[in-house]
Amino acid sequence: MKYQSQSIAKLYFIAAIGLFVGQILFGVIMGLQYVMGDFLFPYIPFNVARMVHTNLLIVWLLFGFMGASYYLVPEEAERELYAPWLAKLMFWIFLIAGAATILGYLLVPYAELAKLTMNDLLPTMGREFLEQPTITKIGIVIVALSFLFNVGMTVLTGRKTVVTIVLLTGLTGLAVFFLFAFYNPVNVVLDKYFWWWVVHLWVEGVWELIMGAILAFVLIKITGVDREVIEKWLYIIIALTLISGIIGTGHHYFWIGAPGYWQWFGSIFSALEPIPFFVMTLFAFNMVNKRRREHPNKVATLWALGTAVMAFLGAGVWGFLHTLAPVNYYTHGTQITAAHGHMAFYGAYVMIVLTIISYSMPIMRGRTANGPKSQVMEMWSFWLMTVSMVFITLFLTGAGILQVYLQRYSDTPLGFMVVQDKIELFYWMREIAGVIFLIGLILYIMSFFVKHDDEVTA
Amino acid sequence: MNSTVKQSEITTKYHLPGDLAIWVFIFAELLVFGIFFLSYAFSRAGNVELFNESQKMLDTASGAINTLLLITSSYFVVRAVTAIKSDDAQRCVYWLAAALAGGAGFLVIKSLEFADKFSHGISLGTNTFFMFYLSMTFFHFMHVILGMIILAAVLIKARNGGYSAAEHTGVETGASYWHMVDLVWIVLFPLVYVIR
Amino acid sequence: MKETFTKGMARNIYYGGSLFFLLLFFALSFDTVSELPDRDNRAAITESVELGKKVWEVNNCIGCHTLLGEGAYFAPELGNVVERYGSKAAVKAFIMSRPKDGVPGRRSMPQFNLSEEELQGVADFLEYVGGINTENWPPNIQG
Repeated sequence: MKYQSQSIAKLYFIAAIGLFVGQILFGVIMGLQYVMGDFLFPYIPFNVARMVHTNLLIVWLLFGFMGASYYLVPEEAERELYAPWLAKLMFWIFLIAGAATILGYLLVPYAELAKLTMNDLLPTMGREFLEQPTITKIGIVIVALSFLFNVGMTVLTGRKTVVTIVLLTGLTGLAVFFLFAFYNPVNVVLDKYFWWWVVHLWVEGVWELIMGAILAFVLIKITGVDREVIEKWLYIIIALTLISGIIGTGHHYFWIGAPGYWQWFGSIFSALEPIPFFVMTLFAFNMVNKRRREHPNKVATLWALGTAVMAFLGAGVWGFLHTLAPVNYYTHGTQITAAHGHMAFYGAYVMIVLTIISYSMPIMRGRTANGPKSQVMEMWSFWLMTVSMVFITLFLTGAGILQVYLQRYSDTPLGFMVVQDKIELFYWMREIAGVIFLIGLILYIMSFFVKHDDEVTA
Repeated sequence: MNSTVKQSEITTKYHLPGDLAIWVFIFAELLVFGIFFLSYAFSRAGNVELFNESQKMLDTASGAINTLLLITSSYFVVRAVTAIKSDDAQRCVYWLAAALAGGAGFLVIKSLEFADKFSHGISLGTNTFFMFYLSMTFFHFMHVILGMIILAAVLIKARNGGYSAAEHTGVETGASYWHMVDLVWIVLFPLVYVIR
Repeated sequence: MKETFTKGMARNIYYGGSLFFLLLFFALSFDTVSELPDRDNRAAITESVELGKKVWEVNNCIGCHTLLGEGAYFAPELGNVVERYGSKAAVKAFIMSRPKDGVPGRRSMPQFNLSEEELQGVADFLEYVGGINTENWPPNIQG
């Protein structure tokens, strides 16, 4: 580890993994509620478990992105972080505010939480993924701005590289688009139109820049391939991302009250969105093939290659399956959506954070790579989590196809609840896969504690 | 460098004029416009009457003048490339300026067309034909602007002596892009304005 | 003649392409917003509807249901529920009648203890949403 302040990333990564565990626990709870409808009712109704699950996901990924930034920016910029004390302070503020919010969801009825946090002053609660009380959202903005300031000053006063510029652009975009979370008009069409400026322009926009930059960094370090080559690929990937993804936002505007031309624009441009992920896969494999060194951290390489593939499958392929308007007309808001969402988030963002953790944690703990026992255990966790996610997605896709046929396409459509009953088997299988995912995650955590292993310190 | 270029001209190796990158870009652009054209054709097949009726409201004369403007300006760009190949940067600049004037003329006439349509209350939501007409020609309009920016950049560099007979890849690059913009219009005009 | 695709070219395409499409997106958004008055049923937004949206939000209905296909997939689509149940009164009756300890073994909806005003608000809100021009979505009454 070349710079002392890089070690701040360790704090962020530990929090990230802790919150990840919480997320999966609640995921397993929800999966059970799908088949045992009143499980934990009325103490933790489904919607509460869901908001805990999704909010934990977003927050732990943000911790992951921040940790990744604190690790790679000093090394790239060839200087210590601008204000390490600020990074540590923001860590605790973000963690405590986040924990308080989650506890708020669990301990207090949501309407009660809205009153307690004075939602009426500026009502922003009650929308998907943006369930946080307004005060929490303000806190997030403050944390994000401090983070951007810290990282930005480091980048701008140090050696600028394509990696850091792209990362900074992505992070800035993340902060800017989050501001739309504060816009909550009574007009439902406007509400939905601009809600997607947070969600789509995040996960199918600026977050891809963040992911690309982190992947590029890891590949530079692990493969030793010339930076010029890797950075060129990075530019190509993000160009394709934004060229397809910006107008691609239109694939969320088909049926929410927006004009019909979005069915054309959204379909055409979003159909192109898999391309950057495909190029990312070619990129990752190519760079590893052309490597100039045999890096001892094999499992980090596995994560890097895995994230490109799973992102392409989950975000690219599964996304494409239901992105064209004539198809989406029938699949909109079904288990097809859930299937795509899970594999996309896991493949692109969960895995890129696990990649950077896998690469940087050993270094922050004083070695180039973990020993063989630890790496193998981590590889097991990779395969368990990844394969079980594939099965979760396949089962939900099966459920979704049946749901679409019975509830939307058939000449004698059945009601929602009736159909849910009929596809119960898929939900049971999904739950089993989910439990295996959790086992994989536990194994992942265990891999950090393997002792008496021959660590590589070279 | 000169002799190397001549060497490969003697062999039958085909050279793309301009940077490889712009050709990848051109290919991508043609792909997108191609998809647009196909979508238009597909949509028209299901709405022939509507399309024919609405098409009557288009100003074919403006479209024809614009076609002439772009073809002429493409010719000027060819002259510009020829000029720089003979090491005449000055002439090259004049021809590029003429090409830009043609482009500007196109923009003016197209803007007047748009203004006329909007003043009659026609917009993207009026009907499927106008959705296509407005979006395709606006998309193309933006590309004409982009092409003009590229040509302007090339013009400025040529004026500052940045190009010569030995090294003028940038001029060929800009020229190739401009020809693509022209080509797209040459397909768009008959497809949308004329064919019934 | 340059045959290689350099980093600089990729960078220019990234900057140029992103800016181009961002501008186009803003232009389309501007057009969309100006076309909304004819599509979004805003004339139906009364004070009761406003209250209804607030109630919808602070009780996190979207956490189980979808509205115009967006939300959670645990419970039915509510964009067309007034039509599906036949009347606003029927929708209100359903919400009012949720048992506070749920239905044993089945997916259960909480009892929110809404006032008559709040109930009416939610019903009015859902009726308003049902009047939005969603390009003929959902495909049928089941949502």
